[in-house]
Amino acid sequence: MQTSLINKRNARALLLVLGFFLFVSFLLTENAAASPSLQTSATPTILPSVTPTFDMRRMDKPKVSAIPSQSEKGQLLYWGICLACHGDRGQGLTDEFRLGAFGADSNCWQSGCHGKNHPPDGFEMPKTLTFPALSNAGSLGRFQNAQQLYDYVVAMMPWWKPGSLGSEKAWQVTAYLLKMKGSLPDGIVLNETNASAVPVHRLATAPKNENIAIFIFIGAMILSMVGLIARDIFPRLKTDADSSDHAAIRLTRPNFFAHLHPPTIPAMQARWRYTLGAGGMAVFFALILLVTGLLEIFYYTPTPDKAAISIETIANFVPFGALIRNLHYWSAQILVIVTLIHLARVIFTGAYGAQRKSNFVLGASLLVFVVLLDFTGYILRWDEGVRWALTAGTNLLKTIPFVGDGLYAFIVGGSEIGPAALLRFYAWHIFVLTLAFIIATIWHLFRVRRDGGIATAPAGERESSERITRLELVKREVLGMFIGGILLLLLATFIPAPIAPPMRGATILAADSSAPWFFLWVQQLLKLGDPFLLGVLVPLAAIIFISATPYIFKEVKPSELGRWFPRSGRIAQLTFVIIAVIIIALTLFSIFKIL
Amino acid sequence: MKKFTRRDFLKLTTNSLLGLSGALGLGGLIRFMSFDMDPAPPSQYDLGSAENYRSGSRVLLAQIPAMLIHNESGYMAFSLVCTHLGCTVEQKDSGFECPCHGSKYDDKGYVTRGPANTPLRRLRVAVNETGNLILYMT
Repeated sequence: MQTSLINKRNARALLLVLGFFLFVSFLLTENAAASPSLQTSATPTILPSVTPTFDMRRMDKPKVSAIPSQSEKGQLLYWGICLACHGDRGQGLTDEFRLGAFGADSNCWQSGCHGKNHPPDGFEMPKTLTFPALSNAGSLGRFQNAQQLYDYVVAMMPWWKPGSLGSEKAWQVTAYLLKMKGSLPDGIVLNETNASAVPVHRLATAPKNENIAIFIFIGAMILSMVGLIARDIFPRLKTDADSSDHAAIRLTRPNFFAHLHPPTIPAMQARWRYTLGAGGMAVFFALILLVTGLLEIFYYTPTPDKAAISIETIANFVPFGALIRNLHYWSAQILVIVTLIHLARVIFTGAYGAQRKSNFVLGASLLVFVVLLDFTGYILRWDEGVRWALTAGTNLLKTIPFVGDGLYAFIVGGSEIGPAALLRFYAWHIFVLTLAFIIATIWHLFRVRRDGGIATAPAGERESSERITRLELVKREVLGMFIGGILLLLLATFIPAPIAPPMRGATILAADSSAPWFFLWVQQLLKLGDPFLLGVLVPLAAIIFISATPYIFKEVKPSELGRWFPRSGRIAQLTFVIIAVIIIALTLFSIFKIL
Repeated sequence: MKKFTRRDFLKLTTNSLLGLSGALGLGGLIRFMSFDMDPAPPSQYDLGSAENYRSGSRVLLAQIPAMLIHNESGYMAFSLVCTHLGCTVEQKDSGFECPCHGSKYDDKGYVTRGPANTPLRRLRVAVNETGNLILYMT
């Protein structure tokens, strides 16, 4: 114990004395090379000839806020771990820093420090090792974005114990490095889902105070909605002008938009408690999807290396980009639900008979389009979250006998998932499926009108023969849109759409192995056995069976139309309930990992 | 004058609120669309050691694109982007010609034939402390 102390401390002092002696003798004799036997001959050429003016306060522990930010935590880590080699300001191991900060110990390669006989818990530093500057103009040149910088830090730093930082601390250090470079955006906490979008060499500014603008927008919408319905609610505000408005609209030649509805419809057709407004809401959310999707096209890049990054850029840096993306995401999810509610309403009210048979099939095809659009849109994230859904979902195609491989090549664009697959999913999503969906929607709406509007009992057998004008109908639609729109905006403001780290080759990060929620029931089925039977045939049979409802089951009597659960449609209702319960149960099993 | 009724007030307020949300939406849309995804092009280029460019030499820097001339009065550079509509001019005979609309420039970048009417843009060149030639784009 005592001897080792003597060795460590005294050897260093002895070497310093020897070094000083040599240095003086070098100055006196100009023949320093004449002493090869001594350890000090290995010291680098620069020794403290003049004490530099170095403010030792630069080495003090940095002061951070009471609740330190990510970059402040990184600053503390940097101070504790990185500073010694990379300099207090990220300048690298410059002579100025080395001599100033370490004084007598400034020769790092000296024996006893980081020389060959370093202390047991220390390490040797090869002379050839360079200590790159981190904060200068040309530094960190090989890293484009914060993700690449993080990848390097977490795997390679600190040099003497690579990988010891762990993920969280490596993010903190990365944040501090960016801060030193002047490229850490305000208000961004670096993580694997946004780092790829944060450049190392320039400052990307994250938009500020967007939520205030959004809340003013929502507030103005709520208030104007109140204003719009106020005069219908308070009779005192009604005037004769209202009724004459109705008359005027009925008499004059209606414009294009007025033509979308008949001049009057039976009041029985437009009751909220009968239609639930589901069909109209589906149209509204589809319109939101079209507009927000169109806006996303301007920034989304459908290449494997850029796709997820461009989404991160939309979500973090494009002004109102997060709002647009969240609106797109949430309307897509709600559209699936609203479409299903609409389907359930039509079956539970028996509104699929007679002239409506073919429109029912068209509506069922719209459900298929909605789900396919949702799935392809989900795939466009091209991040670790979609990897297994993409792999499993497309491989299901290959299980189809005879045509499987051909179908796979047709849809996915190759014999495996690659850049072509992303481009194809993009083309399917933004063009082919969208166009087909728009055409089918317009056709569906046209057929509703052609088939006599929303199903009700014939004129003589209705509970009420009252009719409402198209103005009244449009008012109700506008009210529905306002309510739907405000709820959607709140959802999109507070709950961001998911994004995972970009998919990078074969390295799998935190892979989410769940299918998108509307396919969880299929994923659950697939656990039970043959993929072709359970993953292709059963879902296909389910959708075909539901589509064929009007051709399988007995028509509901016209006099029973216009109300819920008509007696003559009981078998169809029960069958649908059974199918729905099975699908919901499978979904719940999948969510709660039962079976 | 017609009386400004409660109903008129309500209508006006509602319409202005609708207008406000419309204006906010439009403002947000414009902000959304005006985001710049690409990094700005470099504002300066390091051309390497100044010794590589001897006096009397003319070097075409195709990547920038620019022309670097070293003559008795020192270093001089100009951009090869046509001042008419931005095509890159080609070296022809002793001067430059634009492939798009036929503007011609002499070997110093001055216009000898339209439609361009301003000479090729001069770029600042300087030797830095390590002896490298730096070309400034701004």
